[in-house]
Amino acid sequence: MRVLLVYCHPVAESFAAGLRDAALRGLERAGHEVELLDLYAIGFQPVLSAEEHRNYLTASGERHPEPEHARLIAWAEALVFVYPTWWYGLPAMLKGWLDRVWTPGSVFEIPSDKGPIVSLIRHIRKIGVVNTCGAPRWYSILMGQPGRKTLLRGVRALCARRCKTVWLAHYEMDSSTPESRAAFIEKVEDRFSRF
Amino acid sequence: MRVLLLYAHPVETSFCAALHRTALDSLRAAGHQVDDCDLYAEGFDPLLSREERLAYHDETANRQGVSAYVDRLAAAEGLVLCHPVWNFGYPAILKGFFDRVFLPGVSFTLVDGQVKPTLHGIGYLAAVTTYGGTRLRAMAMGDPPRKLFNRVLRALVKPGARARYLAHYDMNRSTERSRARFLERVGIELGAA
Repeated sequence: MRVLLVYCHPVAESFAAGLRDAALRGLERAGHEVELLDLYAIGFQPVLSAEEHRNYLTASGERHPEPEHARLIAWAEALVFVYPTWWYGLPAMLKGWLDRVWTPGSVFEIPSDKGPIVSLIRHIRKIGVVNTCGAPRWYSILMGQPGRKTLLRGVRALCARRCKTVWLAHYEMDSSTPESRAAFIEKVEDRFSRF
Repeated sequence: MRVLLLYAHPVETSFCAALHRTALDSLRAAGHQVDDCDLYAEGFDPLLSREERLAYHDETANRQGVSAYVDRLAAAEGLVLCHPVWNFGYPAILKGFFDRVFLPGVSFTLVDGQVKPTLHGIGYLAAVTTYGGTRLRAMAMGDPPRKLFNRVLRALVKPGARARYLAHYDMNRSTERSRARFLERVGIELGAA
């Protein structure tokens, strides 16, 4: 399968980087073809500008603000996101990637007849999410898991109708131990070797 | 009361800009002192940097790059968000305000690994927002921005603080009348803040 792995963390030696590498090892073992987008490393600019907003409805093809990223989404059959959950949601960097790259004409279309929006990415049949949360699992659920819903409901709704999802989270990071982190790394590699 | 109004939309001629003006005018007309924080106009950088991440849990060092915003948040007795919903969430520039300014020692402290909220000076919360899709669709997706407001943000401020979530859904099919009615509603609600 062709997999686009979107990774987002500002610290190169972070635990999240270890999770990215574990996911990459697993995917490689399973024989998938992977493209990696490291948003901080490439200096991605996450703020949708006034000019982009004005051209939002016509920004497809070569007029897309980030044509290479749009091409990768068109190429991918699966998306994997690796990031830290901050304030129960996606880091601003990753949220900005959705704001600027997931545009009409490349990911969906808003029909002129006022019908519901039409997806252009039904070729994506699997979404994987690997993340870390400061909060315990029960509290994240109580807060409604906004980040999980943004990706596994919002983004998934545009993907293939029976798009499968994988959610792996290490909760309570502030009281994590070397053992809990190593076990999670192993779990991520193992899960993605069967992705 | 002192109200911090956080506004996040890049286009001055947008409907969201009209909502922002209405919110600002109504709050001021009601006698409140408003700190109008236009994140785009101020060029707010929403990216938590490597240095900020490494200093995150140091309650004095963590605010160095954003101390002016920390002071504005600390001075607030009311907090009003005015923003569009994009891709089932806040625009990145607003999400980044939470990432970078809602820091340990500012909006919460960690005591034995437990989060203790500290924004108890804030007794009034409101959100003024627009969704492209319908309310039903937003609900089916779990409505992440409404949950961030009603659950996460409310848990950080004074217990029992008044909170109003004002949303115009289905903007892609909005009419002049639906927009005018929503502007009116925002004016009335924030005028009674």
